[in-house]
Amino acid sequence: MSNATQFRSRLWLETLLQTLARQPGGGVAGQRAGDCDWDLPSRRSEAWRFTDLRCLTRLDPGRLHTRTASPHWPEAVRQAPSGQGSPLRLCLQLDSRGHWLSPQGEPPPWPRGLMPLANEDITPGQVARTLMPAGPLPLGARLNSVTPGPSLGLRVSGPDFIHLDLGIRVEQAQAWLAPHVLLVLEPGARLCLSWHVAVTAPAAVLPMVEARLGLGAQLEEAAMTWGCPEAAFLGGSFVHQSPWSVYRRTNVTWGWGLSRDEPFIRQCQGRAETHLHGLAVARGQSLLDTHSTVYFDGPAGRLRQRHQALADDQGHSVFNGRVVAPRLAQETDAGQLSRNLLLSAKARIDTKPQLEIVADNVQCTHGATVSCLQDDELFYLQSRGIGRDQASRLLQRGFCEEILQRLPEAALSWPPLRSLLETPTPDQP
Amino acid sequence: MTSTETTPSREAPIQPGDVLLSIENLRACVEENEILRGVSLQIRAGEIHALMGRNGSGKSTLSKVIAGHPAYTVTAGSIHYRGQDLLAFSPEERARSGVFLGFQYPVEIPGVSNLEFLRVSCNARRQHRGQEELDTFAFEDHVRETMAIVQMDPAFLERSVNEGFSGGEKKRNEVLQMALLEPLVAILDETDSGLDIDALRIVANGVKRLALPTTATLLITHYQRLLDAITPDFVHVMAEGRILRTGDKDLAMALEERGYDWIDETDGSDVRQP
Repeated sequence: MSNATQFRSRLWLETLLQTLARQPGGGVAGQRAGDCDWDLPSRRSEAWRFTDLRCLTRLDPGRLHTRTASPHWPEAVRQAPSGQGSPLRLCLQLDSRGHWLSPQGEPPPWPRGLMPLANEDITPGQVARTLMPAGPLPLGARLNSVTPGPSLGLRVSGPDFIHLDLGIRVEQAQAWLAPHVLLVLEPGARLCLSWHVAVTAPAAVLPMVEARLGLGAQLEEAAMTWGCPEAAFLGGSFVHQSPWSVYRRTNVTWGWGLSRDEPFIRQCQGRAETHLHGLAVARGQSLLDTHSTVYFDGPAGRLRQRHQALADDQGHSVFNGRVVAPRLAQETDAGQLSRNLLLSAKARIDTKPQLEIVADNVQCTHGATVSCLQDDELFYLQSRGIGRDQASRLLQRGFCEEILQRLPEAALSWPPLRSLLETPTPDQP
Repeated sequence: MTSTETTPSREAPIQPGDVLLSIENLRACVEENEILRGVSLQIRAGEIHALMGRNGSGKSTLSKVIAGHPAYTVTAGSIHYRGQDLLAFSPEERARSGVFLGFQYPVEIPGVSNLEFLRVSCNARRQHRGQEELDTFAFEDHVRETMAIVQMDPAFLERSVNEGFSGGEKKRNEVLQMALLEPLVAILDETDSGLDIDALRIVANGVKRLALPTTATLLITHYQRLLDAITPDFVHVMAEGRILRTGDKDLAMALEERGYDWIDETDGSDVRQP
């Protein structure tokens, strides 16, 4: 980064922090802005060498707002009032003041097993900092924690499986949304959290999910994030897993100018189960970056991770899968696979497994493939009368399907995702 | 029988005995290696041909060249299909116009549902014939009915194309595709390989049922057992990229008894073109 670029980047960050400090509830952010002793990461840093932040820094910090639009809830969901008829399913959408309301614009009727936490019990980054005691939080989490606004904090209890759908839609340029969700799952509790994010204007969405999973708790997180070429997404999930807990995360992202997704999971005493599945569809000039970390802080932990990316046009997909098994993580069983489809000479895939294994009795496997569409598959479809373009689309969709089928069934009824299923190259939600 | 018959085909009618496929002195290579060295063959409506020969004699290459596999280059000769230059057609145009290749090793395509694959391909052929395309529901009825021909479990419709299918299930899926596409010329490349006795009977019955006086079938096989179930009108023996000998079903039986060395020992003077 040249001095001039560094100066511009610093100026942008300072202006941003000052703007955030002036927003209602921005006192804390203001203090942090005053103490601003950090910069945006530069591409000299290994973790950011492929990630161009210009899509984010093109936003004008002086014009930021938090206005949202009503998500296009699928018909079946919109017609079923939250809390009535389906007491264990709750749909919430983010309003312009940072509050989560029902699709009818009302305060949520909390179903049995979901209890809101008091505001004083919620501090953005409280779980993340325990998981990452050394070093700074990822950029998205940092920016989230200095953005003022109410958090959604929930305690989940009881044996019933609760479904929580969160919808965010942005249609106005210069929106800056940093929703923060804190989940505390008591032992044995079960929650399915689905995110639906759609952005159609130059804007930024920076969600942070923090979760503590008690003994034997189960959290399924599904994130479907769709953006336009001028929009940026910086997301992070920070999950603390107790023994015998299960965390399943399925992330599908496409359309963004820039997306940086950074899940960080720590199996704090081992003996837990983590499943990470990601699909990134990078077309146009989209840059979709996933940096995941799974840290085994105890024995007999299990990980199954599969990241799939499809890059076409000048799209760029980046994947860095870090797995850490220190000496106490004996009998860890971790498997990671990165599969990539490269469809154009100008598209780019960067994929890197990063296994840091000290324990000597572990089973850790990893694999990465980058390929184009297989000629024998194309010919097979053509030999059945299917044109080459249609055959190509079918194969691309088949590639995506392997991850999409892991989403909760209800997620597939969202219009943007339906369009991704119909044609793998959606330009509009 | 099914809704597929409600729209008449715009394909020109075929009479038994019409020449459907005419191959003249065909030479083809893959990369620098010439595999086909002057194949000539004529197939008429109503005929069943069997093509036999040692491994590497060029049987599968011939089938792939007819279907338009891009890995093969035709260096000389011609293939005419119903009087048209087939080599000028793309693979999908060949399939839509009624040329079907049943693969020796059907390809697995993860993530693409078998039902949708079958529907898209069936509609491509129907569109070419000027027939109405079938919507999801109409097609599902049609395909379930057609599956009875090969006694295939409808559960296979929900799975990805050929993924995790046994060898026999893949071959049944090939014959199912053949039944749905209603080809005029069906080339079945070692459809009998890897089948147990029951599966062979089911597949053979399916093929027999689909062989009509207005269609033609080319069976590529190594074994007499398929020809016990489907009696060919002509049997051809290929070696080194050429058809060395042509006869009737007795030729296949002779091969079964005496092996291919017997062909090598003869000069091929009794070649009989159909």
